[in-house]
This record gives sequence, C-alpha cells and structure tokens, in this order.
Amino acid sequence: MILYLMCFALFLVGLYGLLTKRDLIKIILSSAIMGYSTNLFLVLFGYRRDATYAILTPNNSGQAMVDPLPQALVLTSIVIELGITALLVALAIRLYQKYGTFDITKMRSLKG
Amino acid sequence: MKDSHGMTPIVKTVTRVSVWLILLYGCYIILHGHLTPGGGFAGGVVIALAFLNVMLAYGKSFTAEWLNIRLLKDIEAASITLFLVLGLLGIAFGNAFLANFLGKGEMFSLFSSGTIPLFNIIIGIKVALSLFLVVWVLADIDSAKGGDL
Repeated sequence: MILYLMCFALFLVGLYGLLTKRDLIKIILSSAIMGYSTNLFLVLFGYRRDATYAILTPNNSGQAMVDPLPQALVLTSIVIELGITALLVALAIRLYQKYGTFDITKMRSLKG
Repeated sequence: MKDSHGMTPIVKTVTRVSVWLILLYGCYIILHGHLTPGGGFAGGVVIALAFLNVMLAYGKSFTAEWLNIRLLKDIEAASITLFLVLGLLGIAFGNAFLANFLGKGEMFSLFSSGTIPLFNIIIGIKVALSLFLVVWVLADIDSAKGGDL
C-alpha cells in the first residue's frame, strides 16, 4: 500500500510542476513525470513477492512469475507517452519560433 | 583539426568507438527478443540512441553524409508494410492473421519460435528509424526563423 501511495506522491510532483511552472520545457518534463508514475503504478499492480520475470528460460521454469499483462500494457503506454512528448516538444518549438521565449506568461497574444 | 560542428574531440573519439558497441547491443537485444527480456521495441530504442549519439557528437551535417536520410525514411515507411505482409502470410499458410506458420524449432535456441524473431526484427527497424527520425525532424526546425515548417 505504501508503494502505491508513493506512486501517487510522484504523480502529484508531476501535477505540481505542470500547474505552477512557467517554463514550457519544465511543463513537458512534468507531464513526463506524471506518465512515469502511472506506468510505475501499473507495473506494481502485477508484482508478486519472490517471483521471477514472466519469460520462460531454462532456469526459471516452474517458479512463480509476475503478471505480464500490466507490463505489456505499460509498453504500449510508454510508446504513446513518447508520441505525446514529441508532439509537445514540436508545439514548444513552434511557440519559441513565434514568441522567442519559453515563458508561458509572455505568450499573451491570441493572434498576430 | 578544428571543426565548428559537434562537440569536443574527447566526445567525438569516444563516440567513434562506442557507437558500434551500442549498435551491436541493440542488435543482440532484438535477435534474442524471444529468449530473454527485451525485444523489438527495446532493441530499436538502443539502436536509435546510437544514431542520436552520432548526431549529438558530430553535428547534423556529418550525420547527413554518414547516413542516407531519404533511404532511412523510405525504409521506415516500408517496414510496417513488411509487418502486414508477414501477418497476411499467416492467413495464407496458417489459420489466422499473424499466425505462427513456421516451424517452432527447439526450445530456447536462437533460431526457434517461428515468425516471432522476424516480427521482432521488423519492429526493431521500425522503432529505431521512427525514434531517430522524430528527433531528426525536430532538430531540423530553425528556431530563430518564423513561418511555416
């Protein structure tokens, strides 16, 4: 239970950075931290004490294994996160082209 | 020799050796994807990082000479078609889409488990080139210049 709460604390760290920081790069990093905490949470759901990884090798046949389903889910989640991060970086570069800064408080004009 | 592009000679000399080791490790992870942890995605990420290592150390103009970027773009687009063809071969020779129609071979040997290593190789190529080209395109944007991309 304490591990899940620490995952949630990590999520809150990302949320805090997303809401309070002014720099676009820091906002992107905060959204990445939120994603990582969610991935960690999902992987921890599949964890079993004293179990091996969920791949059959000659050494670990017959032992208890961790649940591979959250791991497969998290692999997809990592790819989607990568796409989101690339999109955010592209948007940040475009905003830098337009305004010459990464500070979101200086991006005030809606057009022109 | 003073080169204005890229990083210091220390980084360049280390990169010249390490990039081949990183590429080899990525190929190892892809080829052993059906035996050990890892696989197409993880190995593809390692290979993409090897290319990005060269791009960061030597600069973009050297990398554009070293790699044929247009060819890489074409391979990146074509690799997913190869995946589709291999999946459709599963319908032709097996009983379902993505069916494993090749012989399974001996357990825990390198050349085993039918089409899974082939899919791992295709996914590895796709992931490596996609990741590299995403960063390449983002680095191509001139941040000082406004206007359309």
